[in-house]
Amino acid sequence: MKITDVATTLFSYDLPRYLGDANSPGGRKTGSGCLLELQTDSGMTGLGIAGTGVVPQVRALVEETLEGEDPRPVRGLWQRMASRHFKGGHDGLVNDAIAVLDMALWDLRAKSNDEPLWKTLGGARPRVPCYASGLDMPLTDAALHDYYHTMAVDHGIRAGKLKVGIDQDADLRRLGIVRDALATRTPNPQLMIDANEYWSPKQAIRKVLEFEQEFDLTWVEEPARRWDFLGLRRIKDAVKAAVCAGENLDTLGDFLPYFHHQSADIIQVSSGMGGITPALQIADAAFGFELPVALGAAPGMLHAHLAAVMPNAMTVEVFDPAPAEGVFSTDVRIDDGWLVAGDAPGLGLTIDREALTRQTVAAPPARSGPSPAGRRPGAGLYEVAITPAEASHDVGGLSV
Amino acid sequence: MKITGYRCEQYQVRFNRPIGDVNRPTGIEVMQMGLLWIDTDEGVSGLAFSAADIADAFPLIEGRDPREVVGLWRALTADRFAAGSHRAGLVAAIDVALWDLKAKLAAEPLWRTFGATAGRVKAYASGIEYPLSDDEVFAFYRGMAERGVDGGKLKMGMDLTADIRRIGVMRDALSVASPRPRLMVDVNEYWSPKQTVRFVGEIEKHFDLTYIEEPARRWDYRGLASASRQIRAGVATGENLHSIGEVQPLIQEQAVDFLNVTPAQGGFTGCRQIAHLAHAYELPVTMMNAFANYSAHLAAALPNHFAMEVLEAGFEQCLQFEQTIEDGFIVLSERPGLGIEVDTAELRRLQADPPTGSSGHPFTRRPGAGLWVQGPEAGELGRS
Repeated sequence: MKITDVATTLFSYDLPRYLGDANSPGGRKTGSGCLLELQTDSGMTGLGIAGTGVVPQVRALVEETLEGEDPRPVRGLWQRMASRHFKGGHDGLVNDAIAVLDMALWDLRAKSNDEPLWKTLGGARPRVPCYASGLDMPLTDAALHDYYHTMAVDHGIRAGKLKVGIDQDADLRRLGIVRDALATRTPNPQLMIDANEYWSPKQAIRKVLEFEQEFDLTWVEEPARRWDFLGLRRIKDAVKAAVCAGENLDTLGDFLPYFHHQSADIIQVSSGMGGITPALQIADAAFGFELPVALGAAPGMLHAHLAAVMPNAMTVEVFDPAPAEGVFSTDVRIDDGWLVAGDAPGLGLTIDREALTRQTVAAPPARSGPSPAGRRPGAGLYEVAITPAEASHDVGGLSV
Repeated sequence: MKITGYRCEQYQVRFNRPIGDVNRPTGIEVMQMGLLWIDTDEGVSGLAFSAADIADAFPLIEGRDPREVVGLWRALTADRFAAGSHRAGLVAAIDVALWDLKAKLAAEPLWRTFGATAGRVKAYASGIEYPLSDDEVFAFYRGMAERGVDGGKLKMGMDLTADIRRIGVMRDALSVASPRPRLMVDVNEYWSPKQTVRFVGEIEKHFDLTYIEEPARRWDYRGLASASRQIRAGVATGENLHSIGEVQPLIQEQAVDFLNVTPAQGGFTGCRQIAHLAHAYELPVTMMNAFANYSAHLAAALPNHFAMEVLEAGFEQCLQFEQTIEDGFIVLSERPGLGIEVDTAELRRLQADPPTGSSGHPFTRRPGAGLWVQGPEAGELGRS
């Protein structure tokens, strides 16, 4: 089997609700993505889903490193792609392109074995607890309740993560709403909060300790900048909650300061960081330090496959019970609070060609990316209150 | 696709030369070997090289799909977890056999299952040659160098004058492969950290050493770290540890510069975890010797693998495999799985008429270790 070509299709979709965090409290209602089809001379195709910016890098990488190659030795091909861009490309769009190609290669690898990826990787029970993550800063209190209540009652989920950071009084009130909504499923829901790097270490310590007067927090996520391993360590030493961090790191090497300085209690892992290949490496390294990993949300909830071979997989983030993108379906499903991968070959993704035709775009719509407004003013310094315009969802960012 | 049973065989082999280190400088000539097959309902079996008794663990894998090897590794390590590394040998044996099965079921060599783009692994020569004379040392390393192997590791530790002379013999033998061959030495935990600093300092007046292996006790991460800081050579260690958890302090405390890895560290699954942890610290790993170099399959897929130890001591008397050493690299074949079959007729012949000679177990520790250096007794070395 040889790789012959790659096709990329940009698409947009309506989100089920406004999604946002402390950096974009107004949220966004439109999403966009890139469907990648890695083609082979056997007729088998590997699928990848990425952001819309990766197309030139994907094309270049396929031409330079993958065309004519057997797609099955995935780890070696990942290394070849990463090594090619060693000088300047271990992060940013090149890294995203490597990640999506790695995803497509693993999909092909498992399909060529005629088995689901979790089995190709060696997993035995593709079943891992999951938690609801509403990306819920833009939601009203009522909508916040409805989201977590639905996830608890209809899908058995027993853990939830609230976006926090700007308005402490509102955050305290809203975490109570999350707790009460999840309490319909379990008397002791796991509660997490996520500040998306909006705080300084000392802000984080003050705020988290205030939360902890009322709530038992399982973790606080990204309470300081991604690279501030000393600040994260100080937070870790000062609060009861676990510090969960790493989401915006890109490579195994980026995690070295976290491991060495014990900066995080829970390591975030995602195939989007640099691919499935480095995600497996990062989880193994964390395992050496007895650190659990929390897997982020991923296209088609594909992390259910990876968790099956991570002895330290704690939980996987889910946004919605089915992919919002609409252009593909997945056979990964939520079953009473567990994420369960199915038996379809590869990643278990199926493209809906009609939907894809309908949703294909020449360029991504404005503000459809995951962080449409960039970093919010005041981050790490002082809290800038949510503006009326943000609250009505009609601006993407501030220029304070 | 189900695991249905297992089979074990034990036999003895006689090496093509006596092998020994500072703890057993007279060397051994024969060794007890174990073979383990895990059988499936597809008629395909997975092979591992172990005499471990897996009877009490077999119910955990019986009836399971062998392709789910990592999940089964988790079940095996979780089972009776309090026993910890005491069960490492058992887990390792089962894990290796399951990986062999997984690759065979995919009809591909195991190196490709592990994701390597080529079944090639850089080799270094290791004579485990304490019992050999200088001429025999030269002949062994020259034979390897003629196939492009440009690195060698000498066993040493109880006679610095002879050790320095013999490093020179090894270097001269390897010089046909490289003008500056990679020189490694191994003292198998016979020295204290400060002995290491003194003795390696002396060696380094004469030679540029790539690393010294096991220059202090396996668990003495502070001692290993202090030795590494006072010598130029890297410190290699880890072969006697059996899980990622045992290795972690060495890495965290920067006590190791080259991490020795082996499937004895929890099978291929556990070994790969350790290599990935080392990779986070930008540490190279080096695969220990193995029957028919079987663990080269994993080494080929590790991003941070340095070179694998090759003995060519004749362990493989009833094993059939295709493999070469070319330009200093182990070249694995396209045969499925580990690519190793057992010649049953030869196995039965070895069992019926076991070869004789001095045997090794248990591997005892030489007196004086870490305290004083006990030089060779008269006639102890028996070097011709």
